[in-house]
Amino acid sequence: MSRFRRQFTILFTLLLLVFTSGCWSSKEIEDLSVYVGLGLDVAEESKFEKSINAQGGHYPKNNNFTTTVQIVPRIAPKQETQKSTGASEGQAFLNERLTGDSLFQVFRQFALRRDRPLIGHHLKVIVVSHELTKKYSLEQLLDFILRDNDIRPSSLVLVSHGTAFEALSSLEPGEIPAFYLKGVVANSYRSNKILPPVSLAKLDGKMQSGASFLLQNVITAEGEHKFSGAEIYKGETKKWIGSFNQIELEGLSWITGEAQEGAVKSYAPPNGHTVTYEIKSTKSKITPIIQGDNISFHVKIESEGQLMEDWSAPEIPSTDKYIQELEVKFADTIKEQIHQVMGKMQNTYRVEVAGFGEQLRIKYPKVWKKVKENWDETFSQIPVTYDVKLNIKDSGSSTD
Amino acid sequence: MNRKQDQLTTVQAAAFIINYMLGAGILTLPRTTVTAAGTPDVWISILLSGLLVMLMGIILVTLCRRFPGKTVFQFTEEITGKWIAYVLGVIIIAYFLTISAFEIRVMADVTGLYLLEGTPVWAIVMVFMWIGFYLISGGVNSMARLYEIILPITLILFVLAIFLSSDLFEINNLRPVLGEGIMPVIKGLKPTTLAYTGYEIMFIVMAFMRNPEKGKKAMVWGILIPMGIYFITLVMVIGSLSIEGMKTRTWPTLDLMRSFEIEGLVFERFESLLLVIWIMQIFSTFTITHYAASLGCSQLFKKKMLPFMIILLPIIYIIAMIPENANDTFKLGDAVGYVSIYLFGIGPLLLLLLSMIRKKGGKYN
Repeated sequence: MSRFRRQFTILFTLLLLVFTSGCWSSKEIEDLSVYVGLGLDVAEESKFEKSINAQGGHYPKNNNFTTTVQIVPRIAPKQETQKSTGASEGQAFLNERLTGDSLFQVFRQFALRRDRPLIGHHLKVIVVSHELTKKYSLEQLLDFILRDNDIRPSSLVLVSHGTAFEALSSLEPGEIPAFYLKGVVANSYRSNKILPPVSLAKLDGKMQSGASFLLQNVITAEGEHKFSGAEIYKGETKKWIGSFNQIELEGLSWITGEAQEGAVKSYAPPNGHTVTYEIKSTKSKITPIIQGDNISFHVKIESEGQLMEDWSAPEIPSTDKYIQELEVKFADTIKEQIHQVMGKMQNTYRVEVAGFGEQLRIKYPKVWKKVKENWDETFSQIPVTYDVKLNIKDSGSSTD
Repeated sequence: MNRKQDQLTTVQAAAFIINYMLGAGILTLPRTTVTAAGTPDVWISILLSGLLVMLMGIILVTLCRRFPGKTVFQFTEEITGKWIAYVLGVIIIAYFLTISAFEIRVMADVTGLYLLEGTPVWAIVMVFMWIGFYLISGGVNSMARLYEIILPITLILFVLAIFLSSDLFEINNLRPVLGEGIMPVIKGLKPTTLAYTGYEIMFIVMAFMRNPEKGKKAMVWGILIPMGIYFITLVMVIGSLSIEGMKTRTWPTLDLMRSFEIEGLVFERFESLLLVIWIMQIFSTFTITHYAASLGCSQLFKKKMLPFMIILLPIIYIIAMIPENANDTFKLGDAVGYVSIYLFGIGPLLLLLLSMIRKKGGKYN
C-alpha cells in the first residue's frame, strides 16, 4: 500500500509540474507592438484615415488630437499604410498615427488595423507639441497615461516646438528617435542648458502642486533634433504660455543651482577675445526676506571652475590680476543671463519657475499660505537681488 | 493543551508580530497618511504612533502574562464570564477573518493590475489560499519556521529596492518640518496607528511562547522593526514623489518603484521584484489571521481545529469578494483598523483592570 502511495505521489507531482508551470495569460513578445515613443499633436488626419473615412470606416469622434506611436522593432507596414515623411530605407522604427478625442479609444483603434496589439510597458518618451498644449491642459492630455497601468511613471516628458511627429522621426538609419531623445535628456550633466529630466512621476507632482513649471523643449529641423530652451506651463491652467531660450535657461540654472556642468563664454579686454569658463560646481542659495508685509529675495551664487579657453593673442599670462579680471567678466555674463530670465519671468510671462516660491514655502510657511494662491502675480512685483561670485581654481592643463 | 513541539522562541514570536504587521497596508500607507495630515510631517506621526502602539502592546502582554498558556479565547471567560467572553471571542474571530479577506483582496487587486494582468482573480486567490491552508495545518511551529525564512528576505530586499530610488529623492519635498505646527502630526496619528495593527497576535502567540517572560521584548522588537520599515517607506516616497504627486496615486509605494529604471544592472525595473517579495508578507499576514480565526473557533466551540480551517476558507473568500471596487476595499481596510483600535487598544486595558479588580489570573513578577 505504502509503495503504491509513494508511486502515486511521485506521479502526481510530475503531473503537477506539467500542468501548473507556465503563464496563464502570457503573450509572446513577437506578437506585440512594443511602443517606445508617444507623440501628441494637433489633430490632422492622415491620408489613410481620410480615405478610410471616405469609405465609411469612421466612428463617432471629434478630431482633437493626433497621436503618434513609435513601434520598435519595425514591422513591415501593410501596403495601404501611408508612407510617412522620412520613412527611408533601413529605419528601425515605425511611426503610426491616428486621430481622435480619447487617447485610450485611439489606442484600442489600433487593434482594428494591426495584427499585433500595442503594449505600453516600454514607453520611454512622451512628446507633446506645444501647439496642442495651448488648447488643452497637460492634465487632460496626460490623464490616460497617468492612469494606465502599463505605462510606467518613469517615462520622460518633452515638449516639441514643431510637431511631436517630427520630433519622433529620424533620417538616420538605425536610429530610434525615442531612445535618442532619452539619451540627450541624460546629457543634462554635461550642460546647464538642459533641464533635469522630468519623468511622469515628477510631472504629476508638479501639476498637482498648482505651481507653474518648465518642460524641456526639442526643436527639429531637417530630421535632426536639438534641445533648445524650455517651455513654460502656467500652474493654474497647465497650458503653455511661453518659452525660455537657451540663454534664459542657463540664467535659470544659476538661480536654481542646477548649473553644475557647462560653459560660460565671455569676451575679455583689451580686444574682446573669447574666454570660456568651465563650471565645476555651483552653490546657490535663495533667501527670502520678510519685512512686515513685504517679501523680497536675495540670491547668492558661488561657483568654482576652470579657465578652459583663452583666445588672447598674443597670449596674456595667467597672473592673479588677469584671472581676477576674468572672474568679474564671467560673473557679469552670468548676471546678464539671470537678468534676462528674471525679466522674462517677472515682466513678460508673469510666472515663477525658479524655485523662489519653494524657498518661501520652506522658510516661511505661514507667509507662503497667504501668497500661494496668486503667487505668479505676486512674484512679478517682488524685488530680487543677486550676488554672483566666481572662483577660477586653475586654468586646465595649460598654465598661460 | 499545548504540545511540547508547539513552543515558540522569542525571536519567532517577534517574527510573528512583524510578519503580521507588515502586509498590504504599506502599499497605500504614504497616501492615506498624507491625505489625513496634509503636510510632509507624517514621518513624525509614524514614530509617535509607534511608541503609542508599543504602550498598548505592553498592556496587552501584561494581561496575557496573568494567564500563562492560555489564549485570549480561553482567558476572557475567566475575567468576564461566559457570555461576554463568547461575544468578544466571536468579534475577534470576525476581525481576524476580515483582515485575512482584506489581505487576499488587496493581493488579488495589485497582482491583477501590475503582475498577472488577465489571470482571473479566483485562480490567483485559490492557489494562495490553499497553500496558506497547507501551511497552517502544520501548526504554529511550522508557521514560525517559515516566517523566520520570509522575514529577512523580504526586509532586506524591500529596503534595498526602496533605496534604489534615491536618485529621485529631493529633500525639499520633506520640508518644511512642522511648517503648519503640530496639528498635522496629530491628524496623521490616526492612519499611522492603523498601520500597526497586528500586535494583537500576541493574544495568541503568548500562549505558545517557551519563555513568556520575554513577551515584552518580543513585542517591542515586533513593533520597532515595522516602525523602521514604515519610516523608510514614508520618507522615500514623500521625498521622491512629493506630497502632491502621491495623493493621486492609488498605490504610491509601487509607483515609486515604477518611477525609475536602472540601466546597467541585471534588472532595470524593480516593481515586480518588490511585489513578489511583498506577496510573501501578504501571505504571512493572511495565514496568521486565518490560523488565529480557526484557533479561536476551535477554542470557543471546543472542537477540533482542522474542520474550522477548511470551513473558514470559503468564508474568507466570500468576504474578500464583497467590496465592489478599489474604494470599497480601502474603506473595508479602514473599518477593520478602527475596530482594532477599540478592540485591542482599549480592550486589553479594560480586561486587565477587570482582572485585577476581580483578582483573576495569576500574578507574576
